[in-house]
Amino acid sequence: MLNIKNLSASVGDKAVLKGINLEVGTGEIHAIMGPNGSGKSTLGKVLAGHPAYEVTEGSVSYLGQDLLAMEPDARARLGLFLGFQHPIEVPGVSNAQFLRLAYNKQAEAQGRDELDPLEFDDFIKERIKVVAMKEEYLDRGLNEGFSGGERKRNEILQMAVLDPKLAILDELDSGLDVDALRIVGDAVNTMRRPDRAILLVTHYQRLLDHIPADKVHILSGGRIVASGGPELALRVEKEGYDWLASQVGA
Amino acid sequence: MSVAAVSGCLGDLLALPRPGGWTALRQVAEARVERLGLPTTKQEDWKYLDLSALTEQAFRPAPTVEVDIRERILPEARGGRLVFVNGHPDPHHSCVSGLPAGVRLMPLSHASEAASALGTVLDATAMDAFAALNTARFTDGAFVFVPRGVKVESPLHLLFITQEADGPALALPRLLIVLERGAELELIEEHVGEGTYLSAPVVEVKLGENAQLRHERVQRQSEEAFHIGSLAADLARDSRYLSRTISFGGRISRETPRATLATGTELALDGLALLDGRQIADTHSTILHAAPHAQSRQLHKAIVDGSARAIFNGRILVAPFATGTDAQQQSRNLLLSDHARVDTKPQLEIENDDVKCAHGAAIGQLDADELFYLQSRGMDLPSAKNLLTYGFASDLIGRIPVASLRRSLRQQVLARTHAALGELA
Repeated sequence: MLNIKNLSASVGDKAVLKGINLEVGTGEIHAIMGPNGSGKSTLGKVLAGHPAYEVTEGSVSYLGQDLLAMEPDARARLGLFLGFQHPIEVPGVSNAQFLRLAYNKQAEAQGRDELDPLEFDDFIKERIKVVAMKEEYLDRGLNEGFSGGERKRNEILQMAVLDPKLAILDELDSGLDVDALRIVGDAVNTMRRPDRAILLVTHYQRLLDHIPADKVHILSGGRIVASGGPELALRVEKEGYDWLASQVGA
Repeated sequence: MSVAAVSGCLGDLLALPRPGGWTALRQVAEARVERLGLPTTKQEDWKYLDLSALTEQAFRPAPTVEVDIRERILPEARGGRLVFVNGHPDPHHSCVSGLPAGVRLMPLSHASEAASALGTVLDATAMDAFAALNTARFTDGAFVFVPRGVKVESPLHLLFITQEADGPALALPRLLIVLERGAELELIEEHVGEGTYLSAPVVEVKLGENAQLRHERVQRQSEEAFHIGSLAADLARDSRYLSRTISFGGRISRETPRATLATGTELALDGLALLDGRQIADTHSTILHAAPHAQSRQLHKAIVDGSARAIFNGRILVAPFATGTDAQQQSRNLLLSDHARVDTKPQLEIENDDVKCAHGAAIGQLDADELFYLQSRGMDLPSAKNLLTYGFASDLIGRIPVASLRRSLRQQVLARTHAALGELA
């Protein structure tokens, strides 16, 4: 589904990714772990097409297409979803309006029927249960006055609405308390499907207690320095990231 | 602009017969018009607003005409609606049968109580040339009065319609709003029109102790209109004045609100201008903290597209004895084209140390991270820009408590920003 080859990217003059190689198959959940500043959030942004990052080398194939040649919105319409670490707020646009607009853009691109406000109302009231969010959050401005945890729930609600093929979830666990983490983790687990891949970008192993990953990759200094199964995340939890530095000299 | 042409424009208007009533006040105002003449860009307060286009038109008072207000009716305004057409009261479209006892919503020409209070809030010596012209030559206007302790539950609606008749029309709407001690009111003041005309409204607001006025002001004048308005508000101790001005229309428009705050008062003076083409909108506000422990909040937003221009000059004056003053002012501007222009100037003049004052001005394009967020949800770049622009305006409109007005303003913003939200629920 996703095939990243020798991907390098920079922001301004600073090289952040330095030759990433990663293959993610359909139905798989991969975790990208790493210390702060390792480039793991950058990877998500580059895959989603953030204009501040310049790809200097390498290629990314997604569903057989050249991902890097596409605009961010075209990537999204092809089923790529980035759950943001820090979702922005748009006060004058209600959450429900925004979600319906996003849903309909997706539906239009994929040849499905668009939903009018009444139809969407039924649809969203069903989906919102997945993240145990109160309906009043639909009428508020998009992320307006939402706490960090509410914003994360709203990201997962958007994922549930947009029904992506590849979801990249950046620091999903940051800002979440134990209960919220369980709700959000359960929500993601219910969305685990054979035709969907998920990339979890996280600093901590605790997220993987809730959402078990098939494969774990450790990013350091803009490179993947170790790949393995869930045991790799457990070792990070026990020993931190320092032991990796000795392995790569990063 | 020659001086002769300048005095010609206002001079012609001043040559109109002096209407009855308020003779002494009108004489002072006449002298002021003659002394000030038409403002020029050489004057600091008018330096960005070139009024020479005004001199190309011969504005004359216009008769009342048949209007269709069905689209303008706000169902929430059950308390009453007062309509003026070209400055004349329109009893056919007005409805004041739902007013609580003692509350008045009536033409000034019928309100004998108004005679003494009119002209006392906007001091003659503080008037600009247009406010002075209004004072010298207004023929009628609206008187709104809420007696002591009365809380009016439904909003009242004032609708001023100006229509070019045989030539460019002149309208000088006059408003006097008086709330006695402890009274509460929500008032919608709306200005609309068609064709070429000059509207120079003057609003005086007098709030008694502990009174509260929510004042929604909507300027949807025609594209060819000139709208140059003044407002003066006098807040007695512990009163609250919450005012919001939404400006969509006018070729040239200017708002000059001035509020004087007594002890313990609370003021909100918000504004939104949505400009395109060659529109120019100017707001020159003055907030005077004349006594201790008053709070003022001002958020002024402008969205400027095409070759339009937005001007904001916000003065906050804190008197030497106005300790414990809490003043916040923000000017936020969105520039949507290379030819659009914004001039913003917050001015704090503080004469004591015991104050909490903050102000800021921002002029910019849309934020790249915000655009990326929307794009990452499948919206193409133009759609994302339109949606954020819509949100910038809609945010302030969303605070208007009258649902039907909110909806109609948002619908208008949708049409202007092309945000693909469809019909709003």
